[in-house]
Formats: sequence, structure tokens, C-alpha cells
Amino acid sequence: MDPGKQSLDQKGRMSRSSVRPLTALMVLAAMLAACGSKGGDPARQYGSNPDLPEPSEYLLPPMHVPKEIGWSPGETPTASAGLRVEALASGLQHPRMVYTLPDGDVLVVESNSPGTEAFRPKDLIAGKVKARAGAAGKAGNRITLLRGANGDGTAAMRTTFIDHLHSPFGVVLVGDTLYVADTDAILAFNYVPGATQITAPGVKLADLPAGPIDHHWTKSMTVNADGSKLYVGVGSNSNITENGMAVEDGRAAIYEVDRSTGAKRIFASGTRNPTGVAFEPHTHQLFAIVNERDEIGPDLVPDYLTSIREGGFYGWPYSYWGNHVDVRVHPQKPDRVAQAIKPDYGLSSHVAPLGLVFSQGQHLSAAFADGAFIGEHGSWDRSPLNGYQVIFVPFENGRPVGKPIPVVTGFLGADDETVHGRPVGLALDATGALLIADDAGNVVWRVSAAPANNASTSAVQD
Amino acid sequence: MIHSPTNRTSAALGPAPLHRGLIASAAILLIAALGTDYTYYVTSLWQWANFSAWLIVGGLVVLLVAAVFLVLDFVIGRAHRLDGFSFVLLGIAALLSVINAFVHSRDAWTSVVPQGLLLSAVSALLLLVLGGRGWTLASSRSTKKGV
Repeated sequence: MDPGKQSLDQKGRMSRSSVRPLTALMVLAAMLAACGSKGGDPARQYGSNPDLPEPSEYLLPPMHVPKEIGWSPGETPTASAGLRVEALASGLQHPRMVYTLPDGDVLVVESNSPGTEAFRPKDLIAGKVKARAGAAGKAGNRITLLRGANGDGTAAMRTTFIDHLHSPFGVVLVGDTLYVADTDAILAFNYVPGATQITAPGVKLADLPAGPIDHHWTKSMTVNADGSKLYVGVGSNSNITENGMAVEDGRAAIYEVDRSTGAKRIFASGTRNPTGVAFEPHTHQLFAIVNERDEIGPDLVPDYLTSIREGGFYGWPYSYWGNHVDVRVHPQKPDRVAQAIKPDYGLSSHVAPLGLVFSQGQHLSAAFADGAFIGEHGSWDRSPLNGYQVIFVPFENGRPVGKPIPVVTGFLGADDETVHGRPVGLALDATGALLIADDAGNVVWRVSAAPANNASTSAVQD
Repeated sequence: MIHSPTNRTSAALGPAPLHRGLIASAAILLIAALGTDYTYYVTSLWQWANFSAWLIVGGLVVLLVAAVFLVLDFVIGRAHRLDGFSFVLLGIAALLSVINAFVHSRDAWTSVVPQGLLLSAVSALLLLVLGGRGWTLASSRSTKKGV
């Protein structure tokens, strides 16, 4: 006797009546689970016209996070041909941003999220998973100063420059005033050239949107050419308005702050998480890197680099990449979707660009003379992983063109299941070398042109 | 022992099974999620969707405890025979609620509308039927029939 039939007979009428709901359940489960697909080739999403698949919704949150293992002594990421990479400083506390002062001293902002409460069961689990890749690393909430260089490339002197900050990120020096963008305010510090420490408390120039929640907490910052205005990137308070619209007031925007009065206004909006702002050096056009929304597919939505127009609206939350509507937002606003500006340049999905610095000529190589370096912190919700590298986006006539060029890779372990470090903020040092804050490896890397005789063997240094 | 096929509760037969109250409690949480889902559907106020997410997960946790006590009821003799229909009813409601918990882990509108709301409604309906059967998975009949 067929065992399946036998058991059905034994249970009798009742279990037979349950067959149809069970079938319906299985169909539903299959339908819901059908969306956990793998991401495609990121190259299809580089540039001005990225391939945009249809959005899909997940049943299981699509988390894929490599385990943080740090760097062994002597281990470094891999620089592209003609470049070499060495650690300028290690053993830092979650370095997120680097900034070079006029006399060549390097500031390292050691920072992390001010901490958020779990609003939903999902938040409890997501926080633990992300911590695997070092996202929960203890931060210094301070700025460390690095000066000079030893024979092995490490900084000769290291001091705590400014202590007791509140989740700082952006730093910019204008004249003798050093501005630090804490998560909740811009602070102004008096800077004396050659100083190794600032103990006088900062004076608040302007408040910035922070709590409650403070989901995207980093406040990127730059200054315009004449030094009159600061530009500050303020991220959204959610992935896609799941914490309500009220907490999104004044968020997902780029602010313009008057340096003399502290008055601020929204310069551009709809930028979900503008983690880097910088002026293109030839045209003095403001550019931003923006982290786009999650959880509608491994290849949605591409993060991007774009020029920022005054008064421009870049879609979030209502739409992405111009007028592609996001159905998760309710009520929807077709009039806002119609206004949404299409970004200039796709960086592919979930790479998490967190660092942006424009090249200042041929210090590294002729290939990197004109364009933008971008630090990609790496994906947490995409399989296969994406990002985890520093790339260069070439520019022509003040516009991004062509395909990005990998500059520093090798942050991931060979199997994609481990990660040594994750690039965040970028800067050029006084010699034009590229500095990379690595917040999982707790290192600041310095990338410079390799000596001509071993230009091709730059990958592995001692 | 008294054999009374019409009497679905075992109250007359001795101490009540321990799992009943737990199943009723879990069901209240899961049925409440239909209310909060519907309120979110009507108001678009995010906090209602959050209530649903917690209610569903809470209901499933209590249900897990109920399962432990169901086994305990059989071990200590407070339950005698599994009510197959109620068991399947609750099993389906639990499975749908697990799926629903994941649907509610999505962000914003589509964490509820339409799949979450639909799953909450079907689960609530099944649980209300179970409520009509006395929130118990153990039938009062102690005689072994057909097993």
C-alpha cells in the first residue's frame, strides 16, 4: 500500500479537508520566496544609463555579510598596477574620515553611529548580522592627528587632536577655523597651524537634523571655493519611510550653511543618504555620492555619483533613478516623482559609497589625473557581495564618463566570506597620495605611485 | 472513563490542559495583528505596522511555549488524544503567521499591504474557528480509536 495514501486514510476526513489550504500555502510560500535571486554583473549598472531590473520584494531579509577578520601584520589591500599601498596608522578606533591640513598633518575622524533603538523585531536581528562585518566597532568619537612619516610609511607622531565628539564625520578647515560635523551640529574650533591638540570646546555654528532615531547619522561636509558656505549631507531616517514621514522632515537632503551667520537652508533634496560632498576642482560644481534604497532586489537601486543642482530633487523616497516609483511609500506623490532628477552616474547597487575626493592632477598616475576617487564600504544585503574597494571615476569636461577603474581592492578575503577591512572616507595628502580610512581594519592606508623599478609588483608589500 | 463525543472540553474530566490558555493568548496577539494591520491600511501611520510586527512575533513566541506545554499535558495526563482538525487548523495558522512575520519585516507600505493584511486575515479566521473549538488541541475523548 502506498504509505502516503495509508496515512491519509488513517487521519480520515479532517486531514483530507486540510489538503487544499496546505497546497495554497505552499503556492504562497513559493511565490514569496521566488524573489531571493542573485545579483548580476555590477558593470551593467555603471555610468549614466544603468540597467534597472524590475523591483522584487523579499520574504527573508536579504542579508549577506562577510565576517570581519582584520589585517595580519604586514598584510595590506591590493593596489592597482603602478601604485603601492602602506599603512599610515593602525590600531585606530573605527576611523571613518581622513582630512589633510595645509601643513601636511592628517586628521583621522574615529566615529560610529550614536546608537539606535530597535523599533521592530527585524532591527534586533539586522543589528547583530551587520556587527559581523565590524559595523558595531567601538569608536573613538575623536579626531586623531598624524604627522610625519617613519621609514616604513607609518606616521612618526600621533596625538588625540579633538576628543569627546558626538559621532563626527565631516571635517573642513577654512582659514583658521576647523569645522567638525558631529551628527547633531557643526562645531567650529580655532585652529593654530602646527597645533597637535585642541582643548578649547567647539562653538556651535548650526544644528543638524539628528535624533530621534538618527538612522543615517553621518554628516558629510565640504566648503565652496570662496569659503563662504558649507555644504552638508544629511541622510534619511529610514530605508524607505518605514519609520514614518514625520521623522523625515529636513532629512535626505544637502544643506547649505552660511559660514558667517550659521543660517542653513536645504540646497537639494531627495538624496537618500549623501555620504560624500565635494566640489569638482575645474568647474566648481558640487557633486555628491548617494547611498540608495535597499530590499527591492540585489540590483536595485544603484548607488550614484551626481552633480547637485540648487533646489534639485533626486527622488527619495517616492522614486529612484528619475521616475521609477517605489511602491513601498504610501501615500505616493506623482507630482514629486515627475520632478525627480536622474542622477549622473551609477556606481552599481549596494556598494555603499562613503568616501569622495576629487583627483588633483597626476600624482598617482596619468590615468588618475582627472576624476573622483570613491570609497565603497561594501554591501550587506546583496549576494554576491559588491563594493569593498576604492574606485576611480574618470571625468571629462567636469562630467563623469566611462567605466570606473579599481584603485585599491583586496579588502575581502578570497572566499568572499571574510573581510579584512572596509574603505570609508578618502583624502589626498600633501603629496597627492590617496588616504583611505578603513573602519573595520582600524587602519589608515596611504596609496602612492610605486617606485618606477617595481611598478608592476605593487600588490603585496612586505 | 466517560465517553462524550459532543463535549469538546475536558473540564468535566479533571484539571484543564495547560496549553489551552497559552494557545488562547497567542491567538489573541495574532488576531490583534489583523486589527493593527487594518488600521495601518486605513491610516498609513507607520506605528500600526510596527505593532503588527511585534504582535505577530509575540504570538509566535507564545505559541512555541504552548507547544511545549501541549507535550507536557500529554506527559502528565492532562490531555489524552490529539484533536487532528484543531491541530491542522493551528498548524496552518502558525505557518501562515511565520510567513507573515517575514512579510512584516519588509519596509513601509508593502510590509502590510496587501500580503501581510491577507495573511493576518486568514490566520485570524483559522484561529477564531479554533476558539470556537475551545482553544484546545486535545480532544476530551480518551479512548483510542483508529490509531
